[in-house]
Amino acid sequence: MAGSNYSKVDEYGFERPKDFDFKTYDAFMSQYVKVLTRRALRWNNMFGNQRNINFRKNATLKRFVRKGIPTEFRTRCWMTVSGAERIKNSSNLTYQQLKSRSVSSTDEMMDAIKIDLPRTFPDNIFFSGREPLPNMLYNVLATFAHQNSEVGYCQGLSYVAGLILLVTKDEAASFWLLKTLIEQLLPKYYVRTMSGLITDLDVLNELVRKYEPLVQRHIQNIGMPWAMGTTKWFICLYADVLPTETVLRIWDSLFFEGSKILFRVALTLIRLHKAAILQTSDLSELTGVFRNMKNHPRVIDCHSFMKDVFELSGNLSNSTLEKLRITYKKE
Amino acid sequence: MANRSGTAQRPNGQTQGKICQFKLVLLGESAVGKSSLVLRFVKGQFHEYQESTIGAAFLTQTICLDDTTVKFEIWDTAGQERYHSLAPMYYRGAQAAIVVYDITNQDTFGRAKTWVKELQRQASPNIVIALAGNKQDLANKRLVEYEEAQTYADENGLLFMETSAKTAMNVNDIFLAIAKKLPKNEQNTGQTGSGQGRRLTEDNPDNKTVMNCCK
Repeated sequence: MAGSNYSKVDEYGFERPKDFDFKTYDAFMSQYVKVLTRRALRWNNMFGNQRNINFRKNATLKRFVRKGIPTEFRTRCWMTVSGAERIKNSSNLTYQQLKSRSVSSTDEMMDAIKIDLPRTFPDNIFFSGREPLPNMLYNVLATFAHQNSEVGYCQGLSYVAGLILLVTKDEAASFWLLKTLIEQLLPKYYVRTMSGLITDLDVLNELVRKYEPLVQRHIQNIGMPWAMGTTKWFICLYADVLPTETVLRIWDSLFFEGSKILFRVALTLIRLHKAAILQTSDLSELTGVFRNMKNHPRVIDCHSFMKDVFELSGNLSNSTLEKLRITYKKE
Repeated sequence: MANRSGTAQRPNGQTQGKICQFKLVLLGESAVGKSSLVLRFVKGQFHEYQESTIGAAFLTQTICLDDTTVKFEIWDTAGQERYHSLAPMYYRGAQAAIVVYDITNQDTFGRAKTWVKELQRQASPNIVIALAGNKQDLANKRLVEYEEAQTYADENGLLFMETSAKTAMNVNDIFLAIAKKLPKNEQNTGQTGSGQGRRLTEDNPDNKTVMNCCK
């Protein structure tokens, strides 16, 4: 990983884009490896090396998680802090049993999932050719769709489940994490009316109006619906939107703290791009700024970015968010 | 990107002609090839496995038609049924729409008809609607007959072509046909269809210049 000799594929199997900014990445990485090493040491001291660590959800762990979960602890920690482990243990059926029930299903949802498989991360080596991951992804999505008919399959979930699989490489754990996200941690984004999404788009508009009124007015004047620029932020939880390492750092806290993290990230992104947004004069330029947010050096530097997320984005609590959601709820 | 057409058209002030901007929205069932048609039209490219569109994407492309430069502001949308609730935000104020179906899939043709009905009821009254039977390169697996779609299009006053984003067949042509059918009067010159609540025309001193310059 030294120097600028980065491989064309990152550690999660994503091909680096043609316009990949190796210089910025190199500057960030040379610092970030030190952070990673220090963090691994601290986690090892704290939780040891044993396989079945029981993470207790407390203030210390929250602080640790905000600084990023080391790769080797990630699956285990996500399972615990999200509640997925508890849901798995209290379920009457194992993942294998749930999966075998879905296999016989001829639901049209299954066709929708199959159509999306080759369209999910086509530039990722683990999702191409004869790799086992597309098949695992199908199993996770089909099993989930079969046991939750209110949601079934919603386009965009393939990116969420796909990235969970790339991290865990474990089909059962991926299923339980996906289920916990959709059924416990997130509003009703993925149901047939997408009611939770529509509410949260209005909530985002309101939060931007409150914290960055100039930006809110400018976006409104240009005529970009929030749904156009940010649907993928909520539906894909920033997967396929921001750099992978940044997304995983966001997910670390999302699994621990819930959906307010999505708004904190959104507000941070908007603040980082305030000047750029205000300089745009038409929809084409404005959507360009949103599309290129992943290339901002501060966004690539996931460590600094997450500091901004927790410092810049104000005191957005889950209860404030819930109040806003009730205000903007549409029936 | 936004400036591309502007700068290309500004270099000499003596040329005649006008610029018309139109908002065009793509609608249709998931995986019929909406994004692929746009990618072919705007960038001349085709990806066998085009990532699914979540939410909506925005692109622009400019074509010349006699003495008029037509700039399309293209709103490309997600196809899955449940994203339908977001669609009115996208087609509001659109002057043109391409409703896409897959000629190898009868259900997508049914869904296209539903979109046409909705546009006729809810969208701008003078919207120009084109029906695109995409994936013409897979004609040997055809399940929607050309004549059936043509008849439906005639009955509803739609433009109709079978297209292939893969081979580029009829892709430019369908956009060109739409451009020809759109009214090129002063109302559309220099203004933008996306400008819901946008008041650029009142305080935009450039407006006149834009109207008068063309390549």
